[in-house]
Amino acid sequence: MGGQTARIARFIGVRLAVSAPVILGIVFLTFMLIRMGGQDPVAMLAGPMADEAMLNALRAQLQLDQPLLAQFANYMVRIAHGDLGVSWQGGIPVLNEIRHLFPATLELVLLSVALAALIGIPIGMRAATKPNGWFDQISRFVSLAGFSMPTYWMGLMAILVFFYILRWAPAPMGRLSMEVAAPAVVTGSILVDALLEANWRAMGSALAHLALPVACFTMLAAAPMIKQTRAIVIEIMGSDYVRYARANGFSAATVRRMALRNAATPLLTFLGSELTSLLAAAALIEYIFSLSGLGQWGLNAILLGDFAVVQGYVLTLALFSMAIFMVIDLIVMLIEPRN
Amino acid sequence: MLAMDKTKAQAWAHGFYVHAIGLTRRSPTFVAGLCMVLFFLGVAIFAGVIAPYSPTESFSYDILRAPSDRFIFGSDGNGMDVFSRVIYGCRYAFGIAVPAGLIMVGIGLPLGLIAGYKGGLLDEVLLRTLDVLRAFPTIILALAVVAATGQSLISMVVVIGVLDSPIFARVVRAEVLNLRASTFVKAAVAMGNPAWRVMVVHILPNAILGATAQLPMRMAWAVRISATLAFIGVGIQAPTPEWGAMIRQGAEYVITGEWWAALFPGLALMLLVLGFNLLGDGLTDILDPKRRGVGK
Repeated sequence: MGGQTARIARFIGVRLAVSAPVILGIVFLTFMLIRMGGQDPVAMLAGPMADEAMLNALRAQLQLDQPLLAQFANYMVRIAHGDLGVSWQGGIPVLNEIRHLFPATLELVLLSVALAALIGIPIGMRAATKPNGWFDQISRFVSLAGFSMPTYWMGLMAILVFFYILRWAPAPMGRLSMEVAAPAVVTGSILVDALLEANWRAMGSALAHLALPVACFTMLAAAPMIKQTRAIVIEIMGSDYVRYARANGFSAATVRRMALRNAATPLLTFLGSELTSLLAAAALIEYIFSLSGLGQWGLNAILLGDFAVVQGYVLTLALFSMAIFMVIDLIVMLIEPRN
Repeated sequence: MLAMDKTKAQAWAHGFYVHAIGLTRRSPTFVAGLCMVLFFLGVAIFAGVIAPYSPTESFSYDILRAPSDRFIFGSDGNGMDVFSRVIYGCRYAFGIAVPAGLIMVGIGLPLGLIAGYKGGLLDEVLLRTLDVLRAFPTIILALAVVAATGQSLISMVVVIGVLDSPIFARVVRAEVLNLRASTFVKAAVAMGNPAWRVMVVHILPNAILGATAQLPMRMAWAVRISATLAFIGVGIQAPTPEWGAMIRQGAEYVITGEWWAALFPGLALMLLVLGFNLLGDGLTDILDPKRRGVGK
């Protein structure tokens, strides 16, 4: 087993070395993009009454008067010390905010992706058994329709139907109803924290607030899942080894079981890319439902020109996607007998 | 003479009918998508004839009227006719999707062709750019760039087209990599053709079909993302009759039950995006049934 551990260590080492330039590129791109943007955060912060001298003083205080590359070098040095800067709007250290907001977003994304996989993978497999049959055509149409719906609009319509007309859902504001006491923060995920102290009231309220956003997000996530599963299974069923197994007289059920095991790897890889793209897409759903998660925070920061927050937000997304891809590729490497 | 023309026309109509039936059988998604996109294109062209009012005409006594005979989709918070605005919105959707699509092809096709055929540094740069784009939230990138380049329609089209061109290039690159290994390309090289000739004359015509199937899906993306940007408040602003901006404007009334100002533009947006997606999906099907479901 020692060989195995060394293999994993080498894999992680190589992967980190390859990812570092990509992450650095993303940080650099974000840094330059927001600074070259048309927004002037100093004018926004100082307010309309500020004169030129005040603006310049503030600019110097925020170190925005230095050359761009010097600012970037400064930022990198501080990142190396674990300091992501301070939000100009709220005055709170960015790292604290990320710790505080990330669990809310993760809750939403993980629940949605899990549900989408539970719905999408069986439908995709069923569709692949008879390509272009009626089930395939219908599932394709429905999934494309779900995929084509703008997320924020779907959220609005869900609020209209389930909050305004049916009165089933709580007001789309926040993660808990006002009269419910929040559980003590352990993980930051209200669901997990409520479970830890067996606070069922908070749990129920949190679930009720998550129901609509998760449903909307699942619709969005399930469509590509169906499509991808179908494509993968069709490709496997048409491969030489499946034909060989059939020719050997294995029953259809056995052949399918053998084939589906081979679908695990590409599906897992796809799940990873789903997870990362949805984490970024969460911003709009959080915005519509006021879930106060990472995405909503990042979106607001872009609109307000809060540079440190935007940088912290994009960096978090990039690190998360890198970690997800690394874990998934690691699992694939371990379960693939060919490697 | 007239009789002959008539039979000719009949034969043509019959041929069209047979083809249409055959195509519908082979790929109902393609036909459905084509019909939807053509419908919206027609609406965009004849918007001036269809719309009962000007899209920015404000009736100050009719603010937020529910759908009725006078305003069949209701009126919005400015007292403008939602129906007329949705109709004129088609022009903005196509006005963004078509030029953005052309930019994607214009940049992505040569880039993918050269990167796939020559490999080397350009290929490496393309792949790394794709890595960055994959990890970078597109909406954030688009937001930042649109905010930086100004909020005009033209800058939005250019940003969307340029941002998506590496993704288009990847599709072309994959096609080219397949073709490069084929016998006919090797033969063309062995005959002493220069590299540009092999690329343009031998590879391009064969790679272009697979890439074409991607175009409607990328256009769907362009329509979607431009509406999303407008919804957030970047890019096209109200009272321009653009669907995303209309949803933004209607969103504040949804929670109090005035649903029409947000519902109809969203419905139109969804149907057009669905049409483009169905078209692309069907096209991939027709061109190569084995390779469906690849891409974002």
